[in-house]
Amino acid sequence: MTPDIYLAGVGGQGIITASRIIGDAALIEGLNVLLSETHGMAQRGGSVVCTARIGDVHSPLIPDGKADAVLSFELLETMRALCAASKKTVVISSTDKMVPMSVTTNQLRYPTLEDVTRAAKKVAKAFVSIEATDLAREAGTPLSSNVVMVGALAGTGITGITRRAYEKAIEANVPRSIRENLAAFAKGFAATAKPARK
Amino acid sequence: MDRLLDSPEGSKVLLLGNEAIARAALEAGVAVATTYPGTPASEIGDALARVAKDAGMYFEYSTNEIVATQFAAGAAVSGVRAMTSMKHVGLNVAADALMTFAYTGTRGGFVLVTADDPSCHSSQNEQDNRYYALLAGLPLLEPSSPQECYEMTKEAFSISERLELPVIIRTTTRVSHVRGPVVVGKIVQRTRKKAFVKEPERFVTVPGVARERHLVLLKQLEEAAKMADDSHFNRVFRIGRGGKSGAISSSAAFNYVMDAGEYAKADLDVLKLGFSHPLPRRRVAEFLRTHDTVAVIEELEPILETAVRAQAQHEVIKTKILGKADGILPRAHEFDQAVVAGALDRAFGIKSDIEKEPLLENLPPRPPVLCAGCPHTATYYAVNKATGGKAIFASDIGCYSLGVGPPHRTADLLLCMGSSVGTAGGLARVNDQPVIAFIGDSTFFHAGIPGLINAVHNGHRFLLMILDNRTTAMTGHQPHPGSATGPSCCDITSVSIEDIVKACGVKWLRVVDPYDVKGTTQAIKDALAIEQVSVIIARRECALIAKKDKEGAIIRKETVDADICTDCGTCTSKFQCPAISKSGEVRSIDEAMCSGCAVCEQVCPSKAIKRVG
Repeated sequence: MTPDIYLAGVGGQGIITASRIIGDAALIEGLNVLLSETHGMAQRGGSVVCTARIGDVHSPLIPDGKADAVLSFELLETMRALCAASKKTVVISSTDKMVPMSVTTNQLRYPTLEDVTRAAKKVAKAFVSIEATDLAREAGTPLSSNVVMVGALAGTGITGITRRAYEKAIEANVPRSIRENLAAFAKGFAATAKPARK
Repeated sequence: MDRLLDSPEGSKVLLLGNEAIARAALEAGVAVATTYPGTPASEIGDALARVAKDAGMYFEYSTNEIVATQFAAGAAVSGVRAMTSMKHVGLNVAADALMTFAYTGTRGGFVLVTADDPSCHSSQNEQDNRYYALLAGLPLLEPSSPQECYEMTKEAFSISERLELPVIIRTTTRVSHVRGPVVVGKIVQRTRKKAFVKEPERFVTVPGVARERHLVLLKQLEEAAKMADDSHFNRVFRIGRGGKSGAISSSAAFNYVMDAGEYAKADLDVLKLGFSHPLPRRRVAEFLRTHDTVAVIEELEPILETAVRAQAQHEVIKTKILGKADGILPRAHEFDQAVVAGALDRAFGIKSDIEKEPLLENLPPRPPVLCAGCPHTATYYAVNKATGGKAIFASDIGCYSLGVGPPHRTADLLLCMGSSVGTAGGLARVNDQPVIAFIGDSTFFHAGIPGLINAVHNGHRFLLMILDNRTTAMTGHQPHPGSATGPSCCDITSVSIEDIVKACGVKWLRVVDPYDVKGTTQAIKDALAIEQVSVIIARRECALIAKKDKEGAIIRKETVDADICTDCGTCTSKFQCPAISKSGEVRSIDEAMCSGCAVCEQVCPSKAIKRVG
């Protein structure tokens, strides 16, 4: 099995760090992994995609519809990321919104949570929404919302990586507030762990 | 602990392709490394800048790529190992040095890394730099993964020393910016100092020497071809049961061939070329002879394809060869598994279930934008206030090229690093409209100065605005010659932009703070009245690295008074800060995103934007 994780969001949301945590956790678990990252101009507040493919694959890119999980850090970007989803995919979306300029100036409509839920359920196996920034704030720092999302991914069990491996990877990748980040991970984990056990 | 430096021999570390190159250079005992930052190459230099002091090596961010290459060449001909890295277009700048460095050759191992950018993720073109290996006549290595980035970089130093030639490593975005496991080796300390031995009949390329050295280069290329044939980087991979269908591939395209072939449960042999120039002719001929149909699968230009066809013709091999000439693959933009799956279908009738899904319709686009608090936003607002948009804007390479879109529309022409200054002269010479050139501080040092001297000397009339945000922002905030601090290894001296401008002979120079909208607007008006080249330095630190108070503000955080806001839209449709959005009939400011530049307060005509609290 080679779990493919498609991460989407907006430049500056900590998506590269999140993918790096997943990558290190996989390695700690003894699994091979490849990540693709977005650097440079695209990071300046634009749509950002990172991918993590766990197992023995050659390219880190995930073909359309082949993701096992879509992990999206922003609601509109969840809609865009649905191209990676199919009936085998679990879509995990933050409810965080970052309104792009095209909505502010061109009167294009920003989708509601209901729109996203409906669209995701149509193409994917399951849809989970996470109030990532609220949970991060409860954990001690709103800046750890990316780690909440990693927790939510870990909670589903899709990656086949143990909780302990994730926690070690967080310690290796988060420069400060490690306690708060571990708490953020736990909150994200708890948000998805129960439905997965049903 | 720095995983780049401290990971012990034999450990498996998750590294970016670029970091794997840096680690390998350390293990190869590189004495000198240089770069000019550019996506997707930047992290090679950034990694070495960070560890240079502890590794006991010399690293510098050079003023531009040709200086970086010349500097590293000076070290390498003395006998130490040297490396320089750059993005693909950087090699255009460095090419003049490289072409003749191929003639003199090197004594210490010399590796030049060029990172190409198919699909122009962060670039102004998607040129295929493998042509430089053909043009200069140099060995070329093309890694496909972080592990290969590591292995090939180490090997490149050995190849370079055996042939006494510079070696080119060519990555792409999907190699440089892939993170994967790398099994690392031991960091070896090699000599950092050498005494240069004079050999003018080799190193001074006057015509008589150059003619002879060209013959030496051609002879060494024959040696290189033998090495390519024996290289373990050129080998056959088997998908399924293999068979009479074959693919020849390299770089990131190889990964898509393997993935697409495995998705399709195909039976296919794949000849992977890692040491791809000179062409490993024996390997290629053998592969052609043992297969009925061979598809050449490479991104961008049909370079391998042309070489493979030539080899088949030379050896009279009748195997059917398919590639871009047959339309099975495109010549533009990066590939992925779906593109290659389509090619496998067209070439061999191999079907798979990989398909492109259409994006959902009517989703609001989210292109990259200038950040909240970006001084360029304030500058561009002032420019449009001063000119009413009635000017021609020559732009340059950096974040500020994002001014191309609405509402600023402050970019009309962009070619390359430094082109703003050069093109502005030509635009001004034949147009009656005022011309304003924009160039960043790092770009000015890199390639702007000769254009400015040209403008003064030849009497061109335009306004040059040097957008000095005190850093090389777009590529990750690397220092430049105007910076006060540099890489870990070395003390640096800050060079004054004002002094350079004056020394170029510019008579009208003003320095403004773009956060002062009124002052900046007035300076632009004054400058445009001058009948010669004028220069404004708009100086304000990049908002991403500017010092902020405990509220997170550079100056003060702002809020919109909903009772006063008239919904006129000036702050969003003329100024445009990503922290300001429309909510109902009024505007609002996202407090977390606001960096407190206090420019919107100056922009609001109804004085509805006020300091928080």
